[in-house]
Amino acid sequence: MMSTGENPLGNFLGIYLARATDEEIRNQKVASGGAVTALLAYALEKGLVDGVVAAKRTEGLEGQAVVARSKKELLEAAGNKWSIVPFASRMKAKIEEEDLKEVAVVCLPCQAQFFAQMRDFPMLESDFGERIRYIVSLFCMGTFAFEAFLNYLRMKHEIRAEEVKDIRLKGDVLEVHHDDTVLAIPLKEAYSYLQTGCLVCTDYTGVWSDISAGFVENEPGWTVVITRNGRGEELVKGAEKEGYLELRDGSHVLGEVLKRAREKVARAQRNMAQLF
Amino acid sequence: MEKLKVLHVEFGGCEGCAVSIIRAYPKLMENIELDISYLRERECKFGEYDVAIITGGICMNEPRAIEELKEIREKVHTVVAYGSCATFGGILRFCRGGQEPRPDHRNFQPLNSAIKVDYSIPGCPPTPQMLQSFFRFFIAGNEARLKLFKVSADVKKLSGFDLIDDIVLTGLCIGCGACELSCPTHAIKMVDKRPNLIQEKCIRCGTCYIRCPRASQLMCMGGGER
Repeated sequence: MMSTGENPLGNFLGIYLARATDEEIRNQKVASGGAVTALLAYALEKGLVDGVVAAKRTEGLEGQAVVARSKKELLEAAGNKWSIVPFASRMKAKIEEEDLKEVAVVCLPCQAQFFAQMRDFPMLESDFGERIRYIVSLFCMGTFAFEAFLNYLRMKHEIRAEEVKDIRLKGDVLEVHHDDTVLAIPLKEAYSYLQTGCLVCTDYTGVWSDISAGFVENEPGWTVVITRNGRGEELVKGAEKEGYLELRDGSHVLGEVLKRAREKVARAQRNMAQLF
Repeated sequence: MEKLKVLHVEFGGCEGCAVSIIRAYPKLMENIELDISYLRERECKFGEYDVAIITGGICMNEPRAIEELKEIREKVHTVVAYGSCATFGGILRFCRGGQEPRPDHRNFQPLNSAIKVDYSIPGCPPTPQMLQSFFRFFIAGNEARLKLFKVSADVKKLSGFDLIDDIVLTGLCIGCGACELSCPTHAIKMVDKRPNLIQEKCIRCGTCYIRCPRASQLMCMGGGER
């Protein structure tokens, strides 16, 4: 069976609470401090990377891979992601089309794993791991099987895909913002509409990333930032030094992140036992 | 630090893997002493080795070849199966003759069908950088990063078919597209957010399976040493 003795957060150097110093970035964010956007703006503006590849919501819950080369383009892609996009293959096309040499990717733990494995272990001549400078993984409880989720919203709550403006996680409740109202769905109920693959996934923070980022309930307005190697640590410290990021120690929220991570492992174990 | 003594042995196949090793060697010279047939007169340089990189599949109808493989196992500390034929059977499984050691023989299997393998590195062929990375983590003793290859050493067959069976048909696929990007023969195409396998094109190299985040996560959870 699964090994659970390992630390579900993986190896890391530092855990911080961070927020963007830029008002414009902070104003776009509600749940967290916009630290990821600020970090990437720093990397772009200081020339550490020549592009950032991220997923952007297009309509409903659908998304697509986009390249951002400026703060403005970053802001357009910012926000929570609720479905996974065939990111890997699209991303390769994007990197080649735009001839990017040093890229930061913002992705989910599973994608971080793929990119990091490709960077560490280039098995194919066509791999592009050497072009990936930073891998930033967002905390993830799973992505929706969004056809099923939208169907549920329509059938049970009479909300249509194009009316959904945002979906936010508040404690154990999922808030679906649509038109001018907010629908609160208990998380347990929403779990049924996650992709099955996500229900057996054990990685909450993205253990393969250079930097993991997300938020915790009791520190609203701040982003939890976990650095996992020298490269990630340098980026965070550099952004602080250059005034992009306000940074403070985050060791007191470690327990909270760990709790979520353990929940995901436990969920995976339950589902594995049931499904296989 | 003393250099690692590394032996390369080729057991049939196309020699693409051997070329990959030769290409990797210039950047490895600092840390390893490679004994490879292209660079030596005849006999092996040393009696014992730290690592053997073995390429190609093993002919199951040739006791002499199996014996030779077992002898190598005895004189080296760590056996690395390198390339898809050595690790998962690869395209050599389709062989209808024309291979070492006897051109009329047909049954070729991965190395772990005959001996205990410590690390399996698939790829058709794996890139030179792959071998360089492997030694970087191996010398650093970074077992966590090498776990996937350690676990793979106990697997005898992996291919696009297994990916479809284990991940896609079980509903575990999340549609990330890693497999499509990892297939050296373009046997996988994303169709309506899920991979579709063009069966005739799959050479059973296992790269897609190893690169699938879900599959590799499950593999690492299920087995291997802590």
